[in-house]
Amino acid sequence: MNDQDILSRFEELEAGHILGDLDPDEIKEFEMLSLDPRCQSDLSLELTASALEAEFLKDKDPDLPKKLLERLRKGMEEFVVDEPEDGAVVRPVAWQRLLVAPQTGWAMAALLAIFFVAKSFVEEPLVARPALVVNTPEAARETLVAKAGDLIESKFGGTERYSQMSGTVIWSDELQEGYMSLTNLPANDPNANQYQLWIVDPARDEKPVDGGVFDISTNDGTVIIPISNPLAVTNPQAFVITLEQPGGVVVSKQEVVVALAKSS
Amino acid sequence: MTDRKTLDGGILSEVARGNERAMGNCIAKYSPLVWSIAKRHVQDHSAAEDIVQETFTDLWKSAKRYDPAIASESTFIGLLSRRRAIDFARKESRRPQLEPMPEAESLPYAAIESSPPLRCDSSDVRAALKELPEETQKIFSLHFDEGMTHPEIVEKTGLPLGTVKTRLRRGLIDLRNRLSRLDNAQPFSPASP
Repeated sequence: MNDQDILSRFEELEAGHILGDLDPDEIKEFEMLSLDPRCQSDLSLELTASALEAEFLKDKDPDLPKKLLERLRKGMEEFVVDEPEDGAVVRPVAWQRLLVAPQTGWAMAALLAIFFVAKSFVEEPLVARPALVVNTPEAARETLVAKAGDLIESKFGGTERYSQMSGTVIWSDELQEGYMSLTNLPANDPNANQYQLWIVDPARDEKPVDGGVFDISTNDGTVIIPISNPLAVTNPQAFVITLEQPGGVVVSKQEVVVALAKSS
Repeated sequence: MTDRKTLDGGILSEVARGNERAMGNCIAKYSPLVWSIAKRHVQDHSAAEDIVQETFTDLWKSAKRYDPAIASESTFIGLLSRRRAIDFARKESRRPQLEPMPEAESLPYAAIESSPPLRCDSSDVRAALKELPEETQKIFSLHFDEGMTHPEIVEKTGLPLGTVKTRLRRGLIDLRNRLSRLDNAQPFSPASP
């Protein structure tokens, strides 16, 4: 065999190695050729197989066992570098208790939210608004309001310690985009703690989905915060703001619940 | 060709720093893919779970070696998962053999850091697939989409095993060459930090 034949044979065996279909004789041959300085392998064939497999598998429902997810979350703990903050504990509140407790007054917020959404649809057709292209959160929010056909809007109500705050959240399932408009939320020190949004979507997961970490730099005025959800949200039932350690957390202990908005 | 940031969202740079939230998001985003790959190559449910766990342990350790200039995050994570799953399947396939097979699990893999780039998104892969010969596309579909083993493809198509193997191998090489040409034809926009 000349050099080109050897390289072609090595390439074919490498493909077989990556596909996992080498027979015993081919394994021996591949091992021998791998020692030949003319036969240099790189990752490109393996990356191709991986990209191909990911492409075919991406739309399949994998039916991932929940116990496995728990194992993975537990297994990652020893690799986490961030130290948990020993911040002040306001009160531990289970998500479910928070959402259903009648004394929290959120029922009133929900009614207001429904009224607000209905009013916006009836009085001002969303599609009639001109689109804006300026890249500020305010402009991006306006653009979403203009283009989303499935917008929901809910009012935030602050918990006892944050009762002075107010705000709204808008969200589009179709565009997977949303914004919070928050007024009088106290400024935070990003080195001590950060606000984190959680999206309650029981259709997706019983645990709230991360909606992004954000800071408030001023105690006055209204700020627009884009929602940053790495996972798709399909039917949000509520939006909850908590105060967490810098960088946010994977699963909130709900120690400091700041505000809540129910979408229905 | 799409910017890596757009493709994957850049979770792995934060994972490499040990950011708990990023690691949690990484599990949520990529565990279905890793689980699917493990199940595809390994029949035993418990072993497939172990492979997923080991893949993520690999990932926590090797995230800093990920270079977005070489591949997308999903391709990189898929690669780690495939290595684990295929090595396990090889070891298992040796067990019933009377004559010991070579130590397949010790066969060389290329180093993650040393590779020419293969940046491709979903549409690139689909477009390159369509350029392959029809018979190769069909075998790819049976193997990668329907998850058929080689003997199952032989049974389904009536082709000899050697032909199935050759078409899969040469098809993979052909696809790699097409994606590489596509990649070289377009400038790369590095992901923002």
